[in-house]
Amino acid sequence: MKHGKLTPYLFVLPTIFGLLVFRLGPTAVAAYASFTRWNVRTPPEFLALGNYVELVNTETFWLVFRNTLLFTVIFVPGVMIISLLMAMMVNQKLRGIAFFRGLYFMPYITAMVAVAMVWRWIFATRFGVLNYALTNFLQVADPPAWLADKTWALPSLAIVAVWKQVGFQMLIFLAGLQSVPGSLYEAASIDGASKRQQFFKITLPLLSPITFFIFVITVIDAFKTFEVTFTMTGGGPNNASTTLAYYIYQNAFTFGRMGYASALAMFLMLIVGVTTFISFRMKDRLVEYAL
Amino acid sequence: MLRWIFKPRTLRASLSYIVLFVFAFTTIFPFLWMVATTFKSRGAIFSLPPTLYPDLLFQEGMWEAYKEVLTKHNFLRYTINSFIVAGAASVGQLITASLAGFAFARMKFRGSSFLFAVLLSTTMIPVEVTIIPEFLLMAKLNWLDTYLPLIVPSFLVGSFGTFMLREFFAAVPDELVEAAVLDGATTFQIYKDIFLPISVPAMTTLFLIAFIHNWNELLRPVLYISTPELRTVTIGLTTFQNEYGAQWNLLLAGAVISVLPLLIIYIAAQRNVVEGIATTGLK
Repeated sequence: MKHGKLTPYLFVLPTIFGLLVFRLGPTAVAAYASFTRWNVRTPPEFLALGNYVELVNTETFWLVFRNTLLFTVIFVPGVMIISLLMAMMVNQKLRGIAFFRGLYFMPYITAMVAVAMVWRWIFATRFGVLNYALTNFLQVADPPAWLADKTWALPSLAIVAVWKQVGFQMLIFLAGLQSVPGSLYEAASIDGASKRQQFFKITLPLLSPITFFIFVITVIDAFKTFEVTFTMTGGGPNNASTTLAYYIYQNAFTFGRMGYASALAMFLMLIVGVTTFISFRMKDRLVEYAL
Repeated sequence: MLRWIFKPRTLRASLSYIVLFVFAFTTIFPFLWMVATTFKSRGAIFSLPPTLYPDLLFQEGMWEAYKEVLTKHNFLRYTINSFIVAGAASVGQLITASLAGFAFARMKFRGSSFLFAVLLSTTMIPVEVTIIPEFLLMAKLNWLDTYLPLIVPSFLVGSFGTFMLREFFAAVPDELVEAAVLDGATTFQIYKDIFLPISVPAMTTLFLIAFIHNWNELLRPVLYISTPELRTVTIGLTTFQNEYGAQWNLLLAGAVISVLPLLIIYIAAQRNVVEGIATTGLK
């Protein structure tokens, strides 16, 4: 197509402007701010590595980091296993299957604040329906206080987050499953391969590029988890469920420590970046391109 | 009959349905519980054992919680506000993403692949990194407590929207364009009169996805909106939760109101939404 020399630049202008003002610019400012003491009211004061030194020497930071890792360790396998199972279930030719597919996706499009509310009510210690079911149907004598309990608060958040997220990963897995040619399964069953063998020898290897992709995005999601913490526990009790992204928010907007919060944000960006980098370096070893 | 039940195929199918229903129950139970609680009286809410069947259902006062939340607690206003904000941000994203997507798909220009790579890779930057400088920028611009911070960033950059429309525009056959060029159409006319009309389905999908995303946005409303009348549903619910801690019927009525518009859109346009999200990854 023929066009003027400047025309394409005019078309991308709004997007480029937005990119500079709302993404690249702020990232650069945050990187600079992480080397300063900055409490908004006074101008930033250069600290060099001061914030980073403080961060490494703060117990809360390590607690928060551990929380984030623990959350990741529950969230990632939870999401991946359940969403793969769901995708395999809705990949069958059964009556009404589209209904189930649509239903499983529902939590993903609803607002976290809204579903967090009902989950808080389900998890409620005394009148919650979960503890009622545990004591009366499963004979658990002393069920935990869930969100109010130091040990259980974070796993509870992870459960809700998994519940809300799986529909999305299910869709991606489903797209992957549908791209596996049916003829492979036919050939395998003619050769006498059991369903189990077919799953481990055909489905999983052929799915590995997609599994890899899902793994990376799910890990990144887990590192960035904010809304579930914000809406359900506010990091409580006693920081037991504070995750890194929430800790950044707290430092910046509750304690007004913009510089320190920026250093934390840089740390978050670093682990997201490193994870992505390592994953792609290891990709060739982990992913089988059969066929 | 027995023979039919124990036929391997029937057995397999019924096993599948059992698993499907278990997943379905876990997915839907919180929603059922949410709706059920809004039709309960205070006494029934805190009764042990908990009752699934709401005592006010089809009784007098069934809609009390909703009436109170909509009028006294202003949720009608919050819902309208959310429609305004999500609508404006999404329309904006359609305009800018289609312009950029058109350039990336149909024009050759220096730096185009570099720009496109930057656009996609910067989606990896966590909001927590950009939000602090963004907040200070909004404060400098005197935009705090207005809708501009909720609309403008999303209006201007829609990485995945641009990506999606680029794919769509690239697949448009050349003949359509050539005919228009022969008629002497300008580049902008080709964009406006050929590409926009044929991409209505893709644009609808993109609009719905952007709308859902903006409707559910939590962090920005929390940071930027302080006047109660300007609250969107997500910040409305957050403050409501802080003020009315244990009034579960009211809180959950608010939650239902905030979720309902999206669910209606989702059910009406399920295919669009599901496929669109599966290909673009939202945001």
